[in-house]
Amino acid sequence: MLTNLEEHDAIVRAPDVIASVRDLKIHFRGKRGMVHAVDGISFDIRDGETLGLVGETGCGKSVTARAFLRLVQTPPGVYAGGSITFRPRRVCDDCSGVGCRECDGTGRVAAHCPACGGKGCRTCGGTGEETVDLLSIPDAQMRALRGNRIAMIFQDPGKALNPGLTVRDQISEVFLQHRTAEILAAAGVSPNDVLLRRQASQKSRAFEKMLLAVPPLRSGRNRVDAALDTMVADALAQTQIPNPRKVMDRYPHELSGGMRQRVMIAQALACNPDLLIADEPTTALDVTVQARILELIRELQQRHKTAVLYISHDLSLVRRVCDRVMVMYAGRVAETATSQQLFRRPTHPYTRGLLGALPGRGAHRGRLAAIDGTVPELVDPPAACRFVGRCPDEVAACSRTDPPMVEIEPEHAAACFVHAPPGKAAATRPVRTP
Amino acid sequence: MVDASLSRPPVRRAPVETAARVRLRRTLELTGRVLSDPTTVIGLVIIILMLAMALLAPVITTPNVPDPYQMPRDWGAVRMPPLTEGHLLGTTNNGGDVLYGVIWGARTSLYLSLLVVSITVVVGTIIGSIAGFLGGRFDNVLMRIVDVFLSIPELIFALAIAAVLGPSFANIVLALAVTFWVKYARIMRAQIIRVKQNDYVDAARVIGDSKLRIYFKDILPNSITPVMVQATMDMGHVVLVGATLAFIGLSEAGIAEWGVLVSEGQAGISSGRWWASTFPGLMVFLWALAFNLVGDGLRDALDPRTEGR
Repeated sequence: MLTNLEEHDAIVRAPDVIASVRDLKIHFRGKRGMVHAVDGISFDIRDGETLGLVGETGCGKSVTARAFLRLVQTPPGVYAGGSITFRPRRVCDDCSGVGCRECDGTGRVAAHCPACGGKGCRTCGGTGEETVDLLSIPDAQMRALRGNRIAMIFQDPGKALNPGLTVRDQISEVFLQHRTAEILAAAGVSPNDVLLRRQASQKSRAFEKMLLAVPPLRSGRNRVDAALDTMVADALAQTQIPNPRKVMDRYPHELSGGMRQRVMIAQALACNPDLLIADEPTTALDVTVQARILELIRELQQRHKTAVLYISHDLSLVRRVCDRVMVMYAGRVAETATSQQLFRRPTHPYTRGLLGALPGRGAHRGRLAAIDGTVPELVDPPAACRFVGRCPDEVAACSRTDPPMVEIEPEHAAACFVHAPPGKAAATRPVRTP
Repeated sequence: MVDASLSRPPVRRAPVETAARVRLRRTLELTGRVLSDPTTVIGLVIIILMLAMALLAPVITTPNVPDPYQMPRDWGAVRMPPLTEGHLLGTTNNGGDVLYGVIWGARTSLYLSLLVVSITVVVGTIIGSIAGFLGGRFDNVLMRIVDVFLSIPELIFALAIAAVLGPSFANIVLALAVTFWVKYARIMRAQIIRVKQNDYVDAARVIGDSKLRIYFKDILPNSITPVMVQATMDMGHVVLVGATLAFIGLSEAGIAEWGVLVSEGQAGISSGRWWASTFPGLMVFLWALAFNLVGDGLRDALDPRTEGR
């Protein structure tokens, strides 16, 4: 009884959906059997929205996010089923990515389906827009999307930057990978200049580099370098780094945590991606910096209308940042709702437990509320609700069948029998306020 | 009217450092850190003297014709003690000039260590990289081969190979190269497996880098340091083992090599002719010591974990 799966399923019939996950299963081969880290989850990400992915450690949220970029290591990981459909955009021709009326200020426009050239066919479901299954496209195509259409910010910027390269080198990498034509255009070099084109796409071999160091050719290389520097400085300036030209020559260890995260963000947003995956981007930062980085992500996201998949275990943070929230528990989706709905009316007992555990302003002193028990082992789990044993509202059906996602109100669904028993659409119990 | 003194003073910008400058400054910093340790400086000085001796050998001595690497024989002055006219460090039983052997021995040792170390570093790095980076079956097969090599003591293994190939200096080089690469393969593999797990490798994949590019940009530069340190130390170790093999007689007789010279002089030690063995022996000792000191200093300077001790 999945909510209107057929209706939602076709990404093509919902034009504002840019990525759609259907029945995604990612397992890990363990010593004692298959660990079902992600076990059949489905959700959509709409264009320009921030979707929060919330859950405790080990519930599969990072694995889900990494699957978008095919970063899950195989082996031990196994993509056991399902699909991630993605609709990559391309850079707007009218404004070359700056943002104009044509592209609604985003700098991105829909890409034509390669099968029919935009007329509409079976592959694109008649919309004429390119859609790809991220789990099945060839590696080369995946690499072209990474960093270009889908980018990612990591949890610890201290570890996610190469300690041996300057900030300039790390950010220019993205441009060299995906923006060769733009670099050449900015440098005023003909795109037919083979030597410089190879230089601007990092394909130069050692002897070509030597050739480019010879005086008549050197001026061209210097122009390419200067254009690249400008692009890098612009990317850094976007993240409100003071004096970007100076920061460019710094190594990561010379920067503070907040600055490093800004560099990461600059790198991620350098190519104006359609989808940004933020894997707990503020966990490693201290609280004051956290707030600034959050504001920055929010601001850049709104300016470019980038969709963001925001992974966090901090509910109060998610409430501030996200439009919609998806709560995961033990590899399954427990509840999806808009932020407001979720906090006003949490429905799944797990969500309510989580919210109940938040110490609020009005909470009286004493022990903090907690959910009893521990997360179940995910080795070959039985067909039952994953929350069985910890759930305060358990019924007999819970340990026999998997509760399907049931719509409680528009945009709000939970996988639970108790509050939305089959046949009754609305929740039946008053909801505790957090 | 606005008072001029109240308006903001002109902002003075710090001059922007260019990338080349930054690189130079950092190189100087690292050099400074290496040189701050007196033992490293001692090692460096010895190495520089040795190198100068090796490179200037044809200038400070008259090269023996036709083969300068062959000891010149002065049959009119055998078993002369040091400070004899024309033979500053004395002569051997066969009239070989000890000073000539010491100086040209430095050249032989330099050849030996450079050849062996460069071959083994390249081979070891490639094999270790394949094992560490690709992992899985490659890793298993390659590391079992390495295990086989490591299970035989280094000296005995080299001795066996050199003995099978026959006594010659080239065979010593070959024997040492065959035995020494395994260490580098081990170190490299361990480093790569450690570095591979860093987030920045994932981050590089996320921006769309190819595997090869990730290897050369992110993995190799961040894992090569211990190999460099080991290589420095092996520059000394190779000469030590090489001299041992030569001493046992696995190189051509009469060659200007420290181990050969020690072996030539050892018969005379009991009769009081200490010089023919002592000077070349001392050279081997100094050579190995110097490279060990510098290797240690390099490790301390490069390894962030030992920083600040």
